[in-house]
Amino acid sequence: MDFNGLSIDQAPPISAPVRFFVTAPIFGIIAGIFLLFSDSATLMSRYSIDAIVITHLITIGLFGFIMLGALTQMLPVLASANVPKIKRVALFSYLALFFGLLSMAAGLELSNSVLLWSASALLGAGFLVLIVSMLYALKGVKHFTASIKGMFTSLIFAFMIVLMGIYLLYGYAEDDVTQLHYIVANIHSVWAVFGFAGILIIGVAFQVLPMFYVAPRFKQFCKKRVVILISIGLFIWMLLSIYAEQYALYAKLWITTFFWAFATTVWIKFNKRKRPISDLTVWYWRSASIFLTLGSFLWIYDEFFKHEYIVMVGILIGGGFILSIMLGMLYKIVPFLVWFHLNALGYMTIPTINEMIDKRFARAQFILFIVALIGFVFSFYLPQILTPSALFFTVSMILLEYNMLGAVRIYRRTKKTKPDFDMSAFSTN
Amino acid sequence: MTLSNIKEYLTNDHRRCDDVFAQMEEKAHNSLSDAKELTQEFIADMERHFQREERIVFPEFEAKTGMVNGPTEMMRQEHAQMRNLMQQFLEAIENDDKDKFFGLSETLMILLQQHNMKEEQMLYTIVQQHLSAEAGHIVEKMNSLIVE
Repeated sequence: MDFNGLSIDQAPPISAPVRFFVTAPIFGIIAGIFLLFSDSATLMSRYSIDAIVITHLITIGLFGFIMLGALTQMLPVLASANVPKIKRVALFSYLALFFGLLSMAAGLELSNSVLLWSASALLGAGFLVLIVSMLYALKGVKHFTASIKGMFTSLIFAFMIVLMGIYLLYGYAEDDVTQLHYIVANIHSVWAVFGFAGILIIGVAFQVLPMFYVAPRFKQFCKKRVVILISIGLFIWMLLSIYAEQYALYAKLWITTFFWAFATTVWIKFNKRKRPISDLTVWYWRSASIFLTLGSFLWIYDEFFKHEYIVMVGILIGGGFILSIMLGMLYKIVPFLVWFHLNALGYMTIPTINEMIDKRFARAQFILFIVALIGFVFSFYLPQILTPSALFFTVSMILLEYNMLGAVRIYRRTKKTKPDFDMSAFSTN
Repeated sequence: MTLSNIKEYLTNDHRRCDDVFAQMEEKAHNSLSDAKELTQEFIADMERHFQREERIVFPEFEAKTGMVNGPTEMMRQEHAQMRNLMQQFLEAIENDDKDKFFGLSETLMILLQQHNMKEEQMLYTIVQQHLSAEAGHIVEKMNSLIVE
């Protein structure tokens, strides 16, 4: 009999997810600094070295770290799936990804093949060890809900994009950038955005929106079919973009239809939610729906303009949709983990999760982030606003880090000062 | 309720508590003192649900499987954490402290939902498998439970 999901020592230690969460904003800050010193003409080409470095500081450093941290925490709760030796696996992946990403950024900027080879080994190992362990843990789950199917599918896409990423890094390390390189790069980016991040967010939303906001449930059709329909769309799109590019638009239409529908559904579900609260995470979900809608339309529109707008699509969907949801989630999950672990240790007089992060700083962080995103979009037309936008973005990431560390500080301080040690709540009732 | 499936019965119970919780927050949003009655109703509903598990389902399950310090014990501990939080709801109402009230309700909400996920995803499924023969009887007992 497998009771692992419910035994206390199987819940991952707080350090496993939180280490990822407090490191993510640091990569955001580094990305912001890179943006400050870049010029908009270079960034408008998606294959310029600066664009690739900044993109990956954000996609691996911010999204990747937050998603992996969240998965180590959510798999046992949402799926009763326990990653074997989670403590060691999470620490190994964390270190490998951390140094791998730094080597990648430095290797690309300096065109240093030793750094690029080590980046490829470290990032490959860091991602694959954690992804394969999670897939292995999920394989044993007997009761496959729609959310678990979403997570599983998204991890399969993650596995493939990592393999593609290793190949792409090899291209730079050996200075062997062929036509195939660009085809793979295109698939790598689209699958990462829609297959890994997009499907993961949709899968988690099935469970999270009805539960945490007491919003109406998703229709059976959504829960049963959407993930598979998007996956088929992504696969067909890949084949078309390799063999018959002129028809790739149809697959794109197919994929965006579902994402646009998802964006609209999220908006409607928030309107119909029973809980009256309207906190920062609700704002983040709302802004994510708007940016996803705009990004999906622009992705189609871009097809008719020789991909001139592809970087703007990336900002809208990557920054506006994926990052908004990630950041919104951080504001809930980090204070909750601090509260939960302290409370389980017996500390009763601790702040509630709303009191751990100063609301004013959280709001300021949100506003700066949104202003920066809008600025990035318009810097396409007005290059001079790139620098102020980059500054806003950097400050918003510094504030994010400050806000997260605030919650972590409460954890450390409480454990150190032991304000009370009241076990009465655990006495038999 | 005429359900004879423990998993469905307890899962429906969760959703009913969620609805009362949302109503309580809605009321509290306008005025804390007006929300007192709904808060008491919510706490009573939660207590009934906890006792259905702690006094009926968990002991039956433990007796059948011999798993005494396993998942049911973990669930009892989380019930204790929730009881402790809910006590503070009424204090916040007495002090007319809205920030405290919503801080507590948000904390409870997340604690409660991750707890529900573990139960619905895992524990109830196993419980139903092991107690399917006596499920009708157990549901009847849960229906007629008098809260202590």
